[in-house]
Amino acid sequence: MIKITPSELNMIAQYIHEISGIYLDQSKSYLFETRLGSIAEGLGCKSYLEFHAKAKKDLTKNIERQIIDAISTNETLFFRDKGPFELLQHKLLPELIDARTPSTPTLKTTLKIWSAASSTGQELYSIAIILKELLKDASRYNLKLLGTDISDNAVSQASYGKYNKFEIERGLDQRYLQRYFTLFGDSWKIKDEIRAMVNFRKLNLMLPFTALGKFDIIFCRNVAIYFTLEDRKKLFNKIADSLADDGFLVIGSTESLSGVCPRFVPKRHLRAIFYQKTN
Amino acid sequence: MKNLSILVVDDDPVVRRLLQQRLQRENYQVQVAKDGHEASELLGSRYFDVVLTDLMMPGGIGGLEVLEIAKSLYSTIEVVLITAHSSVDTAVQAMKKGATDYLEKPINFDELFLKLDKISNLKTILRSAQDLQQAMDTTENVASQTIQDLEMQTARLQACLDSVETVLLDDSLDEDIRIAKALSLLAEK
Repeated sequence: MIKITPSELNMIAQYIHEISGIYLDQSKSYLFETRLGSIAEGLGCKSYLEFHAKAKKDLTKNIERQIIDAISTNETLFFRDKGPFELLQHKLLPELIDARTPSTPTLKTTLKIWSAASSTGQELYSIAIILKELLKDASRYNLKLLGTDISDNAVSQASYGKYNKFEIERGLDQRYLQRYFTLFGDSWKIKDEIRAMVNFRKLNLMLPFTALGKFDIIFCRNVAIYFTLEDRKKLFNKIADSLADDGFLVIGSTESLSGVCPRFVPKRHLRAIFYQKTN
Repeated sequence: MKNLSILVVDDDPVVRRLLQQRLQRENYQVQVAKDGHEASELLGSRYFDVVLTDLMMPGGIGGLEVLEIAKSLYSTIEVVLITAHSSVDTAVQAMKKGATDYLEKPINFDELFLKLDKISNLKTILRSAQDLQQAMDTTENVASQTIQDLEMQTARLQACLDSVETVLLDDSLDEDIRIAKALSLLAEK
């Protein structure tokens, strides 16, 4: 394996920050070597200096994509910690539906939900399953469920909606597994009725995203932890711009917005916290 | 005792007894079934780590069906098929359906024990990964409650400070009254 020198470490860390916003701890040089080593070797590089130069020169951005796939963490589960999903089911969705249901019964109720770091899709599919269970007559609703992630691999895996037994085992209720997944060889594939409810696309949260429009609920869990405080402030400020005035933001259960974004105020529901915009 | 429980399924009584003896001598926990029907009954009553089943068996429930039954009952169960050389293609098909491995007849016991060792190692790693995951979940739960408490408290203090600031900047009131009001707001926090 190619060894990384301290100056190369610094250079690569900065490069990764530039292309993804992810801030990697430089004390963990093994992390760089284990995750990037095989890409560098595959390109025939003798050093990380050479690797960096090749990546920057690559106009197809192919190397950049490979690096992002390798360093972004894809640890995710269906219904990862129950709190946010119970919150969604029992508090956020009922409140929004009340607020959004038009007085003319022929009009559809629009709900826009965004999973801002959707990884391989488990979070957004969990949200879709909750909606399916909650809304008895889904045709009366205009649902827009969007999942975005910086990793191309994660986005294509999410779009495919196929999960192996280890990915499916934890978190997912047997009842939901039987109802919304089909056994596909040794794996499980999400059924079309759920798949058709969602969309996935690639997005770097460091770049502007006003073009996505305004959302009623934004899930942005366990991604900002990889950013510097400065980048976190920028991100949540942009998220505030993208959230409807009466919309809800859900962040990771061990994350905090105090000192990060004064435009949000925390509210507690049972064992979970959600955020709303200050008036 | 080794840490794997094994269900041996074979309609040939000689092979069945041989497998049972050899596996027991290696200290595995072994149960046997004489055909697919008995296997499915046993699988319905308890969990096994590994099912070692003959591919071709009479009576409607063959090795592929045993595989399907086992997998539908327990997603983490490992199924190893025993096959004649002529049906290797079928065994490969079975691996696509979730079988862990296959063995060709006549059974080479060294090969079998090697495969079982690998399965056992994999299960051990999996188990410790699950333990780690559980420890992490517990830590995360406790941490999240602490962070949530702090988050709510910070928001409350911020709101209090904001109202103190408003009172102190209120020109319509005398300074003494502003200070008194500010102090009472601070006392309420």
